[in-house]
Amino acid sequence: MGDKPIWEQIGSSFVQHYYQLFDTDRTQLGAIYIDASCLTWEGQQFQGKAAIVEKLSSLPFTKIAHSITAQDHQPTPDSCILSMVVGQLKADEDPIMGFHQSFILKNINDAWVCTNDMFRLALHNFG
Amino acid sequence: MADKPVWEQIGAGFVQLYYQQFDTDRTKLGDLYTDASCLTWEGAGYQGKEAIMGKLSSLPFQSIQHIITAQDHQPTPDNCVMSMVMGQLKADQDQVMGFQQVFLLKNIDNKWICANDMFRLALHNFGA
Repeated sequence: MGDKPIWEQIGSSFVQHYYQLFDTDRTQLGAIYIDASCLTWEGQQFQGKAAIVEKLSSLPFTKIAHSITAQDHQPTPDSCILSMVVGQLKADEDPIMGFHQSFILKNINDAWVCTNDMFRLALHNFG
Repeated sequence: MADKPVWEQIGAGFVQLYYQQFDTDRTKLGDLYTDASCLTWEGAGYQGKEAIMGKLSSLPFQSIQHIITAQDHQPTPDNCVMSMVMGQLKADQDQVMGFQQVFLLKNIDNKWICANDMFRLALHNFGA
């Protein structure tokens, strides 16, 4: 991994950490957000760590497993990292669904936090 | 539209302009990028207006039409606008395909330009 650009190392580490935590215990995801973070979940908006974690915690399934199909990372002009993830998820006994998620990561006080998070199921892409 | 948050107006305005221009004449998209802009197209990276336009212009289809299924917009801490688009496209006589695209828009000299652009076809989302 040492020969990959730094933004790709940071982005893919974040992605791995995020989904691992999401699949294990999503109530612990608060540590990666700050009070200025924004989440848009299936078009619904939430701002701030507390509102975001409450939304994620109250999602109506008990267990979930994400698998990543593709991920892209870019550095932004303001020294952030933009990450786009395409994958599939399985919640409880529901059929497997595709999803799309995008993040902006920002370095604040030597820690990378997620300032922007957008999630959509890919259902409406079945053409 | 006036009662929508400003970042949503900016993002939705950009998205409309981008796909309209892409479908009409994608060789004219250069105005939306700068020399620092990054494009990741199906996993391949391009930096700068010239490289990005070279890639978009050489895509192997004559006619294309995008339809937007959903779009989300957020303000970022650095006064940019992040936009995520999901939709479908039809290139020439190929079958309709899903796509996902993300933009980061930045205001430079009173103009909104695209600093970051990522595109993926949604083919690999056709799951079990």
